Amino acid sequence: MIHRLAWVSWVGGTLVVLSTTRNPLYLALTLACIAAVGMRVRSESWAGPASVSPLRFGLVVISLSTLFNALTVHIGRIVLFRLPAWLPLLGGPITLEALVYGFLNGVALTGIFAAFTVLNQALPVRSLVRLVPRAFHQVAVVMSIAVTYVPTTLRQFQQIREAQAIRGHRTRGLRDWIPLFVPLLIGGLERALQLAEAMIARGFASSGERGHDTLTRLVIAQGLLVLLIGWLLRLVWNQRILGLALMLAGSGLVLAALWVIGRRVPHTDYRPEPWTGRDWAVVLGAAVAVAPFLLPLPGLGRETIFYYPYPALTLPGFDPIIGIAILGLTVPALLSRKPSVVSDHQRKLEKLSSDPL
Amino acid sequence: MILFDHVTYTYPEAPGPALRDISLHLPEAALTLLVGPSGAGKSTLLRCTNGLVPHFSGGSLQGSITVNGLNPVTATPEIMSRHVGFVFQDPEAQFVMNQVEDEIAFALENAAIPPQEMRVRVEEVLDLLDLAPLRQRRLETLSGGERQRVAIAAALAFRPRVLVLDEPTSQLDPKSAEDVLQALVRLNADLGLTVLLAEHRLERVLPFVDQLVSLPGNGHDTLAGPPRQVLPRLELVPPLVALAKRLEWDPLPLTIKEGMSFSRQLRERVVAPEHRPEPARSNGPYLRMRDVKVAYDAQPVVRGVDLDVWPGEIVVLMGRNGSGKTTLLKSLVGLIRPQAGRVKVSGQDISGKDVAHICRQVGYLPQDPNALLFANSVLEELTITLRNHGFETDRPADLPINPETLLDRLGLAEKANCYPRDLSVGERQRVALGAVTVTQPGALLLDEPTRGLDYGAKQALVDLLRGWRDAGMAILLVTHDVEFAAAAADRVALMSQGEIIASGAPAPVLGASPLFAPQVARLFPESGWLTVEDSLKHLS
Repeated sequence: MIHRLAWVSWVGGTLVVLSTTRNPLYLALTLACIAAVGMRVRSESWAGPASVSPLRFGLVVISLSTLFNALTVHIGRIVLFRLPAWLPLLGGPITLEALVYGFLNGVALTGIFAAFTVLNQALPVRSLVRLVPRAFHQVAVVMSIAVTYVPTTLRQFQQIREAQAIRGHRTRGLRDWIPLFVPLLIGGLERALQLAEAMIARGFASSGERGHDTLTRLVIAQGLLVLLIGWLLRLVWNQRILGLALMLAGSGLVLAALWVIGRRVPHTDYRPEPWTGRDWAVVLGAAVAVAPFLLPLPGLGRETIFYYPYPALTLPGFDPIIGIAILGLTVPALLSRKPSVVSDHQRKLEKLSSDPL
Repeated sequence: MILFDHVTYTYPEAPGPALRDISLHLPEAALTLLVGPSGAGKSTLLRCTNGLVPHFSGGSLQGSITVNGLNPVTATPEIMSRHVGFVFQDPEAQFVMNQVEDEIAFALENAAIPPQEMRVRVEEVLDLLDLAPLRQRRLETLSGGERQRVAIAAALAFRPRVLVLDEPTSQLDPKSAEDVLQALVRLNADLGLTVLLAEHRLERVLPFVDQLVSLPGNGHDTLAGPPRQVLPRLELVPPLVALAKRLEWDPLPLTIKEGMSFSRQLRERVVAPEHRPEPARSNGPYLRMRDVKVAYDAQPVVRGVDLDVWPGEIVVLMGRNGSGKTTLLKSLVGLIRPQAGRVKVSGQDISGKDVAHICRQVGYLPQDPNALLFANSVLEELTITLRNHGFETDRPADLPINPETLLDRLGLAEKANCYPRDLSVGERQRVALGAVTVTQPGALLLDEPTRGLDYGAKQALVDLLRGWRDAGMAILLVTHDVEFAAAAADRVALMSQGEIIASGAPAPVLGASPLFAPQVARLFPESGWLTVEDSLKHLS
């Protein structure tokens, strides 16, 4: 298992690359990296199939984005055809440049979605929950329930659709959705009540107030206020350094308060996740991949990153060093299969039983 | 030890009490079985033991309850969670995490149990419930029985001395149900765990029960005591006990082995039963499948099935989980399109017709009738189906059947204006049946219709189906319930790995099978008798 925070750094890396560049070559390379990691994750025994396939998502988003951009942005030299000018928003020249830019935006969005799908499949709910600061433990539990709820709800919806179809139901108008949503909603509520009951029966305290006292709450509010003032100073009055200092101080206050509250919420972790060399490798790979995109490194063709098809379509440039750097995102797919967590766990247990306490 | 002293409980805004003056004494380390019709207050009584009633439900409670020396009302459910493990009907609705170990550890993590002790406890319950090989699995990849065992393990993580289960097998097939019940019996015998269990499947647990509590509802008195004292006063009992009561066997047998010592003396009176006359098969089968093949993701599920169902017969399809039974039903109404083969309804090929069209001729009751129900009243559920099929509901003369007449036949005449989801499981199922048969289809398909039904509701369903069969309907039903199959079937087909491996009259197919033989067939092997009625016809 790769540590949850290492996974987060990997997702962060892909997000930085995907949101910085519109160069189709770099985008394609990043997508290939995500696909490689995704296939690796799927081959691990316990990851189930994604509820929405990124491929299907990609098809829809790319076509919508291409269509929308081409129809609404009328800039560019290569005119494909013209729509009559009296059409609001849509009227005017439809250009190849707008079409291409819309397509590239769609590709980037698809990549972002795919990266999150991989994260969702790679991490068990337990790890996702632990990503939430412990001060918000209750929120984290709600989140985990939501994550496990989605597939169940999808299955239920399928069942209901079949059940209504056999009563001769056809979905033509808006009203025809009622027989599908009423049972889904009521079934969902029934399940929620049942779950609440089960959690209480298992001693899950509903008193969310434990560990939150007035002081720490005030500190959080103060921290947020300082953060806001710093941001305004930077943005509106152009006080860059003072603003940055205040923002840092504000975030520090909020984090410290969360840490203090988190320590007071009584909670232990079953099977803590160790941080190993593999996790360093993942973080390093992500860092290498984002470096050319964030840092003004000398000797790199950084202009190839900021590819822009307007006003006239040009061929994108490619810097092989940046290309190789992006490959840092494949590290999670390249790591050797480590002995499973079970044996690790058993080793600890054996140690526990052999150590005279 | 659990003690109820004159407990009366009323739900908020309910007209009358759900529990009326209940006094019970359940000794430590006893396995107690709680029986009674749906709506008699079984769930309410169970929820009193850990404070869910009245802390979660609200309402007013009189009398006193003691569980392991604690009063669940003054202690909170949070405290009681350490003393009482609680397991609910539907395993799926009680999970928070999505992996076996994480789910078991969830409550321990929240209670801040030190990690090393937590590991020991998780290992402990994994072994107790034979879950160690499944520890890393995702919950959605487990079978129903495995999931319910995970729920029991999670409930035992705090090492409670009392385990309370609310119909833990009602959503499971018989094999899974047996797994779960066996695990319970073992926990009770090996650990001395006090177990309180509400359950419809009496035949499986009766031999191990120390105390039987009957909650008849409707203001009748609660009965409690050892099974042999209580059973004679119950109306709805497993076939073995029903037969023993009619033939006045004493002491009352609780297992087939015990029953055999009586039935052996009656062997000479066993005569082979006369065969039921074959139904007149003049017009050809109503449902016909020829060489039907279905595959999901290149995995064959149904491999070349031939099946005919004639008007006026009930065909029961049995087989393991995943043997392709539900897929077969779905392909008969077009919900699944077979890769190969032909399906004909009333002589017409159904390929190319939409589901709504086919379902005018074939009623289909899915496993979960709740998925069907959404209207504000029972009557409306029926009229909506009619409108879906393009009937004008304000011109009764044009309708295939008057919805009120159908409700009357379903025994729901008085409930016509009730909200369907407020009804009991059995009633809800009959509303769903009404909703799919109001077009008067020539055939009816039912998928696992006995889930969650008590003996009374099952008998009512058999009577209803027989009535429709006699009126000429072709009925195909899938069930795991051996006794139900024995009571309803005119013909039985066994399915395995996507193929029909045996088909014929129920007596030879069911009676000879070690797995599917009903209790009466086990008592009188080679008699050809399957039900209590069969045997009484010859013996009394």
